Amino acid sequence: MSKTQTSQVQVKRFSKAFVVAHAINGIAFIGLYITALPMYTEFFDWLYPLLGGPEGARLAHRVLAVAFILPTFIFLIFDPKGFMNWMKELVTWKKRDLQFFSEFVKELFGFKSKHVKQTFFNAGEKINSILQIVCAILLIASGFTMWFPDVFPTALVQWGYFLHNVGFGLGFAVVLGHIYLSVIHKHSRPGFTGVITGKVPAEWAKSHYTEWYEEEVKKGNFPDLDDPKNKKNKGA
Amino acid sequence: MTNHWNDLQHTDVCMIIGANPAENHPISFRWLLKARERGGKIISVDPRFTRSSSQADIYSPLRSGTDIAFIGGMIHYAIENNLFHKEYVAKYTNASFIVKESFKFNDGLFSGFDEGTSSYDKTQWAFETDKDGNPLKDEKLENPRSVFQLMKKHYSRYDADTVSTVTGAPKDDYVKICELFCSTGQVGKAGTIMYAMGTTQHTVGTQNVRSYAMLQLLLGNIGLPGGGVNALRGESNVQGSTDFALLWGDLPGYLGAPKAIPEHATLKAFLEKETPKSGYWINKPKFYVSLLKAWYGPNATKNNEFAYQMLPKGNKNYSHISLFNAMYKGELEGAFLFGQNPVVGGPNAGKEKESLSNLKWMVAVDLWETETSSFWQKEAGSDPSKIATEVFLLPASASFEKEGSITNSSRWMQYRWKAIDSRGEAKADLEIIHVLATKIKALYKNENTPAAQPIKALHWEYGHGDHPDIDIVCKEINGYDYNTGKQVVGFGALMDDGSTCSGNWIYSGFYPEEGNNRSKARDSKNTDGGTNFLNWSYAWPANRRILYNRASADPSGKPWSSERAVISWDGAQKKWVGNDIPDFVPTKAPTDEGGMNPFIMLGDGVGGMYAPTLNDGPFPEHYEPFESPIPNVFSSVEMNPTVKVWDGEFNKKGNNKDFPIVATTYRVSEHWQSGSMTRNQEWLSELVPHMYVEMSEELAKEKGIKNKDKIVVSSARGDVTAYAMVTKRFKPYKLKGGMIHHIGMPWHFGYKGYATGDTANRLTPHIGDANTMIPEYKAFLCNVRRAD
Amino acid sequence: MATEYVKYVDVTKCDGCRACMVACKNWNDLPAEPQDFLGTMQSHANVTADTWNVLTFVEHENSKGNLDYLFRHSSCFHCTDAACEKVCPENAISYTDKGMVVVDQDTCVGCGYCVQNCPFDVIQLKNYKDENGKEYRKAHKCTMCTDRLDEGLQPACVTTCHTGAMEFGEKDDVIRKAEKRVNEIKERYPNAMVYNPKGVGGTHTIYVLAEKPSVYGLPENPKVPTSAVLWKDYAQPIGKAMVGGVAMALAGAFVANKFFDKKNGGHEDNGGGNHE
Repeated sequence: MSKTQTSQVQVKRFSKAFVVAHAINGIAFIGLYITALPMYTEFFDWLYPLLGGPEGARLAHRVLAVAFILPTFIFLIFDPKGFMNWMKELVTWKKRDLQFFSEFVKELFGFKSKHVKQTFFNAGEKINSILQIVCAILLIASGFTMWFPDVFPTALVQWGYFLHNVGFGLGFAVVLGHIYLSVIHKHSRPGFTGVITGKVPAEWAKSHYTEWYEEEVKKGNFPDLDDPKNKKNKGA
Repeated sequence: MTNHWNDLQHTDVCMIIGANPAENHPISFRWLLKARERGGKIISVDPRFTRSSSQADIYSPLRSGTDIAFIGGMIHYAIENNLFHKEYVAKYTNASFIVKESFKFNDGLFSGFDEGTSSYDKTQWAFETDKDGNPLKDEKLENPRSVFQLMKKHYSRYDADTVSTVTGAPKDDYVKICELFCSTGQVGKAGTIMYAMGTTQHTVGTQNVRSYAMLQLLLGNIGLPGGGVNALRGESNVQGSTDFALLWGDLPGYLGAPKAIPEHATLKAFLEKETPKSGYWINKPKFYVSLLKAWYGPNATKNNEFAYQMLPKGNKNYSHISLFNAMYKGELEGAFLFGQNPVVGGPNAGKEKESLSNLKWMVAVDLWETETSSFWQKEAGSDPSKIATEVFLLPASASFEKEGSITNSSRWMQYRWKAIDSRGEAKADLEIIHVLATKIKALYKNENTPAAQPIKALHWEYGHGDHPDIDIVCKEINGYDYNTGKQVVGFGALMDDGSTCSGNWIYSGFYPEEGNNRSKARDSKNTDGGTNFLNWSYAWPANRRILYNRASADPSGKPWSSERAVISWDGAQKKWVGNDIPDFVPTKAPTDEGGMNPFIMLGDGVGGMYAPTLNDGPFPEHYEPFESPIPNVFSSVEMNPTVKVWDGEFNKKGNNKDFPIVATTYRVSEHWQSGSMTRNQEWLSELVPHMYVEMSEELAKEKGIKNKDKIVVSSARGDVTAYAMVTKRFKPYKLKGGMIHHIGMPWHFGYKGYATGDTANRLTPHIGDANTMIPEYKAFLCNVRRAD
Repeated sequence: MATEYVKYVDVTKCDGCRACMVACKNWNDLPAEPQDFLGTMQSHANVTADTWNVLTFVEHENSKGNLDYLFRHSSCFHCTDAACEKVCPENAISYTDKGMVVVDQDTCVGCGYCVQNCPFDVIQLKNYKDENGKEYRKAHKCTMCTDRLDEGLQPACVTTCHTGAMEFGEKDDVIRKAEKRVNEIKERYPNAMVYNPKGVGGTHTIYVLAEKPSVYGLPENPKVPTSAVLWKDYAQPIGKAMVGGVAMALAGAFVANKFFDKKNGGHEDNGGGNHE
């Protein structure tokens, strides 16, 4: 099975702004997690010396926390269209989204499944986004009360600890799934290049986000892969 | 104290007046709370509601300086309501004595007053006597010239309404207090009065204490457990100090110092004049000669009046106030100040500080550099270039760094051992005096002038080198046979023929034999004496814990009540037995001569309801303080007429228009005296770091002052900047003449140490009590305003 | 647990002398921290990391119209259910066998979670600078002198108290004593009560108060914060379980995928796609 020419064709899925924002978000999230780990569980106490002791970890955590707030604004300011598109997707739910879920589970475990036509983001990605947004809000808001306890009423600070825990507990679980699907899982990992270069394989995009791909073809942005001109070698 | 600290637990009612033991003698509260547990009650009478008041069952405010009115009213109440212990009063006090017709009292003055000298001819107050010189009596107390009836008449003017308008005590609370305290007049009950500087530091201080003594005699509370008149001394060893004559008119053991008057020209004449004809003081010559023998040793013989001529004869008033007046006028060359800090603790402290710069030399002996030892520095607000005084600072050892005894308020002489060495060159006072004496003696060794004689005659053999042998000092104080060197067993063994010596007769008996220094006794089990702890330390005199304890038994020798018993006459053994050393001849039966006279130190052997020896009258009479907010309600004599008032700059007087607010000073638990020790301690300075003034919410509102504002308090003598502590614990006083405000402040602060602040005593007047010259720190006038 | 011991504080016997404050500083070698003037005799507004016991002074006009001057020795309550112990992420706070709550200074990282969750505002952080100039923090509070307890002594403050306002003894004895005392003083102090709050499981510093807790500035019904309970007893374990579960599910998915995908030869899709 060799790579055919068609497999090399890529289409632009994400703007540079999004790529940067996503990268910062991801790195910050992981960094925040690591700098919090030794305090979260004794199992990771060996990290303390590497992080410069509890104060070093605390400082790094706060620097990364500020970084964690930026992506939303980077995305919004430098790619407002992309941002609004994202927002629109998150609030648009149709029958196909529910169908997606049942097919997704089968697909995840390697059973026979079929594609349900999706728009720019599939239902799973939408859920991922919503959960990550909720978690981010919880984390950032409670992060403030934890960082500046003297400024906030005690009750808010106390609930902050709880919500921070919920935020990173849930967030991490979601991130695990997100990373698995984008890096490891066979049928979704081709999309990984999207957050590096902004481009994804055209064939893959077409089969996974069919409605979006077809629209872009209509607009003349993406190559029509059904056009025999674009098919050089249809492998077995 | 007549009684002692542990004894407080036996009281039925404790009246705290002119004192704040919860703050300033905190351990006493352990015993008061024990008394409480047994059903005892506590009364607190104070210009403001203190930490002691918080533990009291009844609190009443008292305008500072009106104790006599307050107590006079209680005397009146006790008599009117028949609450006094009749038999005790008739038999054990001079209430039954008949007073000469020449004794009168009218409009604030007793008979015999001489305006020129501001003093009384006390002979006018004498008793009527029979041909043998014994006072005539009426034990029924009905004779109109009896002390009792005269007292009743005198205090009939002190009815509750009048008292209320003078003291500011609300009438209801006042009557409740009278009722409660006077209930201890019943047989089987005992009431105690605890007092301190709030009582004594007034121009009528002595008479204040007199009024307590009268009340307690009336109620039969002297000599009983849980009773007595109990002074809370202001320093851990001031009792010891005064016992050893740190008062200018005394020699150790309260022997009078001789004056430069014809009656004191010779020892014989002196003893003739100063020895009472009856009472235990008839033994004064024995104590006096023994003292001279201790001081002058082989230089004191029968042939030279035991070196009596070596004693300086005073011709002035040598009180603190007088000395500083003299210093101010440049009449003093030098001064030793041993642990004394008048720049903070002295009356009219600002002026006292000025006076110091008139000295040619000054020696300060202190643990730290104090406001006084550094009075000449810029930090003190002085200009060193203008001050010519040569100042020496001798570092002194702290109490844990030296050996010796201290005597507490209960007269318990407790020995202390050295725990650690002193720092640097610090020395114990004993060492300092020893070195000074030896060096001065050496300097005068070959001189023959009159000035050199007393110094050469002084016998100083307390060991060689710089360190005296304190055991030798102890033995000498106790006294010993001069020929054999054997220690005496007590003052009863002292002689007036030069065969014995004793440095202080009242302590004689604490070291009765070699190896038995009883001040070192530490038996904490109640094996002897129950709560009197007879085997813990040594209480002078003769280890008697409750003074006048003969009075705890009726004339026949049986305790008035088994619940309040101390000693009783055991006819079989022919001696007094009980849980205290009898303050009485142990084998004198009640039926013997004097067998019913418990007050052995007084000539008549009975308690002095009437005291014709005091300078300002035989009965306490209310006078207003030197600076007073209202005219005297009781008479037209405003201030105690026998008080010495100096002219001039030193004691400017403020009027009640410019200074309408009554002020008082006090102490707090956390600081001590002039703060030279406590304000150099971080943990104590942390507790009370700032100088503050307490005032009522009403006064604060009037002056636009909020809690924590910086304010200025001013008097005719100076002013003080401090924080305002606006509190509910002071309330305005409703007096005759209108609403008067009252404030109070701690006097601990100065400019040295961790905790610094303005010195309250810059405000106080330079005037003292008519008998003792103790300064009137506690009642004066001031005004208050915001600092900004 | 072995026998529980309790510090008994009867404020009605306290005369506000503050020897207990000095005894505590003395025994524990704590530095002085003088404050600005607070307007009363009270020296510190609250306990701090260097001042573990503060005497509070309250002037209170009581129900009879008389003035009460109320004192309270305030320090750590040593709760049976201590919020600080609960929320410490490093397990630096623990219970001793006598029931005291202590902080292991070596383990503490100065995060301050305990400070924010204490219902009584007791435990506090202290700033330090090490020899390299690096700043760090540690949490401090009354230790109930566990070092003295281990030697058979009593806490320094209790030993110093001269009126017997403070005692130290077995929990049941102390509770009985406290209740008896309240009965004794009901006449003088009608609102007297035993302060041993149930919301923190009872404490190891038990008070006989002369007045209602609010008069002393104490919470009437303190408890372990609900947020702390939800956080530590629910969110944290559930979160850990959830992550574990997800990780397992994903591992399972990976394995299953490898296995079944081979079998099935891939899933249908529109253009065959570029699956390997």
